[in-house]
Amino acid sequence: MPAPVSAAGKPLVDPISCAVIQHRMSAMVEEMGEAMLRTAYSQILNASRDFSMGIVDRQGRLISQADHIPIHVGALPWAVRAVEDRFCDDIHPGDVVILNDPYAGGSHLPDVTIFVPVFADGLRQLWSVVRAHMGDIGGATHGAYNPQAREIWQEGLRLPPMKLADRGKIRDDVIDMILMNVRFPREFRGDLDAMIGAAHLGQRSLDKLIGEFGSATVAAAIEDFLDTAEANTRAIVASWPDGVYEGTAYLDDDGRDRQDVAVRAKVTVRGSDLQIDLTGSDAQSDSFVNSPFANTQAAVAMAVAYLIDPDIPKNDGVFRVLDVKLKPGTIVHPLEGAPVTMSTTHPANEIVEAITRALEAACPERCTGGWSRRFRMSVTGKNPRNGRTFVWHLFHARPGGGASVAGDGWSGAGEWHSVGGIKFGSIEVTEARFPLFFETHEFRPGSGGAGKYRGGLGSTLDLRVEVPAYAHTAGEGIRHGAAGIAGGHDGAPHDYCMVTNEGDVPLQTKQFGIGITEGTLFRIRSGGGGGWGNPEERAPEAQAHDEKLGLI
Amino acid sequence: MTQTYSIGIDVGGTFTDFVAMNTDGVTTICKSPSTPSDQSVGVLTGLHDLAQRLGLTLAELLARTERIVHGTTVATNALLERKGRKTGLLTTAGHRDILEMREGLKPHRYNLRMASPEPLVPRDLRRPVTERLAQDGKVLTPLDEENLRDECAFLRDQGVEAVAICFLHAYRNSEHERRAAEIVADMMPEAYISTSSDVLPQIKEYERLSTTVVNAYIGPIVKLYMQRLTDRLSAAGYDGPIFIILSHGGVTRVEDAISLAAGTCLSGPAGGIAGARACARMLDAPNVIPFDMGGTSTEVSLITQGEVALTSERGLAGERIALRSFDILSIAAGGGSIAQMRPGKGFSVGPESAGAEPGPACFGRDGQAVTVTDANLVLGFLATDALSGGGSTLDRAAAEAAMDRLGATMGLDRIAAAAGVRRLINIRMADGIRLMTLRRGVDPRSFTLLSFGGAAGLHSVEVARELDIPRVVVPTVASVLCAWGMLASDLRYEVTRSRPADSSGMTDQTIQRVYAEIEAQARAQMPSLPGIKLQIERSAEMRYGEQIFEIDVPLDGIDFEAPALVDAIAARFHARHEELYTYASPGEEVDLVNARVAIIGAVDRGDVSRELALVMDNPTPIGMRHVHLSTGPAQVPVYDMARLSPGHNIVGPALVSSETTTVLLCHGDRASLTPHGWLDIAVAAKSSGGGMPVKTDHYQPADA
Repeated sequence: MPAPVSAAGKPLVDPISCAVIQHRMSAMVEEMGEAMLRTAYSQILNASRDFSMGIVDRQGRLISQADHIPIHVGALPWAVRAVEDRFCDDIHPGDVVILNDPYAGGSHLPDVTIFVPVFADGLRQLWSVVRAHMGDIGGATHGAYNPQAREIWQEGLRLPPMKLADRGKIRDDVIDMILMNVRFPREFRGDLDAMIGAAHLGQRSLDKLIGEFGSATVAAAIEDFLDTAEANTRAIVASWPDGVYEGTAYLDDDGRDRQDVAVRAKVTVRGSDLQIDLTGSDAQSDSFVNSPFANTQAAVAMAVAYLIDPDIPKNDGVFRVLDVKLKPGTIVHPLEGAPVTMSTTHPANEIVEAITRALEAACPERCTGGWSRRFRMSVTGKNPRNGRTFVWHLFHARPGGGASVAGDGWSGAGEWHSVGGIKFGSIEVTEARFPLFFETHEFRPGSGGAGKYRGGLGSTLDLRVEVPAYAHTAGEGIRHGAAGIAGGHDGAPHDYCMVTNEGDVPLQTKQFGIGITEGTLFRIRSGGGGGWGNPEERAPEAQAHDEKLGLI
Repeated sequence: MTQTYSIGIDVGGTFTDFVAMNTDGVTTICKSPSTPSDQSVGVLTGLHDLAQRLGLTLAELLARTERIVHGTTVATNALLERKGRKTGLLTTAGHRDILEMREGLKPHRYNLRMASPEPLVPRDLRRPVTERLAQDGKVLTPLDEENLRDECAFLRDQGVEAVAICFLHAYRNSEHERRAAEIVADMMPEAYISTSSDVLPQIKEYERLSTTVVNAYIGPIVKLYMQRLTDRLSAAGYDGPIFIILSHGGVTRVEDAISLAAGTCLSGPAGGIAGARACARMLDAPNVIPFDMGGTSTEVSLITQGEVALTSERGLAGERIALRSFDILSIAAGGGSIAQMRPGKGFSVGPESAGAEPGPACFGRDGQAVTVTDANLVLGFLATDALSGGGSTLDRAAAEAAMDRLGATMGLDRIAAAAGVRRLINIRMADGIRLMTLRRGVDPRSFTLLSFGGAAGLHSVEVARELDIPRVVVPTVASVLCAWGMLASDLRYEVTRSRPADSSGMTDQTIQRVYAEIEAQARAQMPSLPGIKLQIERSAEMRYGEQIFEIDVPLDGIDFEAPALVDAIAARFHARHEELYTYASPGEEVDLVNARVAIIGAVDRGDVSRELALVMDNPTPIGMRHVHLSTGPAQVPVYDMARLSPGHNIVGPALVSSETTTVLLCHGDRASLTPHGWLDIAVAAKSSGGGMPVKTDHYQPADA
């Protein structure tokens, strides 16, 4: 759809139509999210809202998104490009495409993406895209978090771009094949239907919009608002001093024999351009901490989205300032076949932190202190109240958010990837449903990184497991706390331990099958956010206030 | 026979509305300036005026008044302006940060550089108390009364005026909270005390605790106001009951409103929605979207099958209030929304609003802001003698000059710019409504848009067209809809019991016993009043064993005496689940999380008694107005709604003006009058070319 342009090369659309079209498109992705929320089969998907919606054009440019999961959104353009490359012009009205392959636009295997094309004037113009985290995707372990995997094939089922529907006809054979390879086929099918429904809703809304305004006007409006987002982003980058800035963030370990695996960012600011070079990062691992190409691109986009003004729409215009350099064989661009399940949190969070650390010299007032890392833990055993096996995932004991020029960090608001978007469940409900007892669940005094503005506090959780059980961990952040920025100090790292007769046993971040005896106490201390600015500049009243409230 | 009256009183930001309804259903209305520092002063002044209108003295009117129903914004304002009282919290040791943890959530995902809000109770006033209950309510650690007294003394010394008490699992066993409340009352006799087992005896500690804290924080303010109001009315000679409308649209006694102050947080808007519900009943329209567009915001809600959607997912001013309330969506779009074209930001209308001083350009007070009202004036839809808030006329020249300035920044002329302002604000409101209906899983096309609020008439038909809503109704009671709605509201008390049994312990006998107990509790709360019919509504919040969210399952029509009660309730749940989520899992374990009984005292609903005669002649316009439609400039007729009769048909384009609003009809829209004298509009479909798209064919950017 060629956009009409003026003699000066500007898209020929009036500002009002442009505003209306942009507003409609962002409302559409929100509507798609609501539809998904209402129809998704698994309540887990409903509760954690681990899904994202986007409108992407055929060149793989992100046109519109809602504030869903940042690490999903930046990867959607790459997913569309993978679909376009696979099918070229063999795409027809009524087609539905699916993929999850991390080596073809996916992030990790549980994140499944659905695409529905939007046609106008007989041509494919846009894609309505839905990505959601499925409860299971087959493979060696339930849910794909498999610290023992050495290859992606041990993590689950890989789906290249495939047609799930061809010219309006659902391909039941393909769906049957997928369902046969996942653990909870009924649930999977329900969620898949919800995704397809949401994508179709987006397609119908886009059809209507194009019908009303005409494809040329819609195309012109898209160019206009992408250009606007680009101009706004460039104005911000141009205000930073030109130069080469470097920052590093570390994974604690890869769960095998390597410690302090580095993500190194060399960020070059030149005028309004931003080159982000991660080629100096450490070599890829044989465990699940590798970040495949599209996921790394998404993490870089997430870092930039956090740095610019919150009200700039996160679309392709923003990403145009970016030139990302990656080297095959590194932890941020592994060769095909390496396992990747942890990547949407780690090293995604380290990528964001390395970039933030690099740019603190260029734009300290835009960089926030580090947000925390994610340390997952699950407990599984037999529930004496109903005789069934239970699996409980730790979402309590949220770690702290980073401080910023606006003030102290948000306590217990979480990690770089969640930034206050993950809700932990009620303790009363948890105690009623699981053989668990929460002795203490409060802020963890002193965990926020010191600074002119203090990092948000992590949490203290003393958790008693009332039955014999097993625990599994998958996470990061016991050696490295959230980064202090602009002279601020790092937040305290996580410190989880199991209290036994032989003394306290510290938990490692990637452990499978930790045996628990009845009545075992877990002493969980989650990390605090990074501080911002020199601690000596902290206002005496703020310090006194913290002391009065018992926060330090 | 002497007439007796019911009086509805709605306190708004600027005016307090009064409606008196006599035994025959005849209403008399009156408006009086609100008195924000003490709303009860304005209430008495207005009652005085109302009495005068009825040819009575205040004492005579009050002597003949059977009940007063009142909506107040005292709680709302105290919370919004954070003017509650210094509040302390007593909570289970080891869990003092529940309030500030906010379940781990922070709003505005992409805004990382924002300060975290101060909780209503700072950490040093959140005091841990040694005690602990198990999940089944058994005492694991007894309440340490000495420790409690120490903490109490601390709070007293800190000058705390209100104390919230919330212990873990107190919904299951309120003994510790009750004992703690006694000790606090003993040591701090002046303090307002609120326990979670009274306010919201339901599982989920954050919701219960936050609601209890809000209740304590605004409780003293609400109490003071209610006492003043009662005293003033009593001094004026009134000895009948005073009912307060709650956020869920039911009404309750003053003393209950004092102890459940947090339940009055949406008291004001709830009246309007209750009024809309009454309108829906009179229209015989089961599915209605009340659309209330004012100066700074538009409030939208949803009535399906005659009932207003309720939610317990909301809060106010960033504070979580888990009490059930009407589900009201507020969109920052109104007559005063500011239109601007900012370099790098593009064209926008709202969310910023011009306010009253200096107000929109057309107020002629040197206001520079170009607003939706200015656009309506420039296009000719609004007459210059329309009210500008201060009562003076609107300044057309100022509006035109402002619109010229806005247009110049976009390369558009005055008329195109004004049409664009309307287009975008209408889209924003339509998108808000679409999202709300989608959340509820209903199709807006099967709804009627009920237009009220001063700014609504010029926009409601366009918004409806945007959503393919075929019908818009503009009621004449719009100006006092809140006060009128209150008179049509039922008395309502709800009693909830959390986790009466898990699936294994759920027998017909336990269910019968639990519902009988809470029904008795509910009945005990209902005051005995003449002419009130009692009605019981049973419901349950249920979920599948492994789920996180409960759904609300109405249990109407289930015979609680019949055998296989548990199966009947489970069947209801499966059916409801399928309705909402498109599937059910009959093999799965089912949990009944909250058992709820609502007792409803249905009041006699006065009807607006005006039934108009059918007149078949052609309506006569009161004048012609020069306006700008998408087809170009035109002279369109202006009708006075008060002079129309049922049988009259008006075909757009036309303007219909009423006491409170002006309604715009475009090409193809047709309006007639209901027997009540309300404007009933059949909206022309967008595809048929109705409405007014912005013309952009000849657009040339300024720099091209």
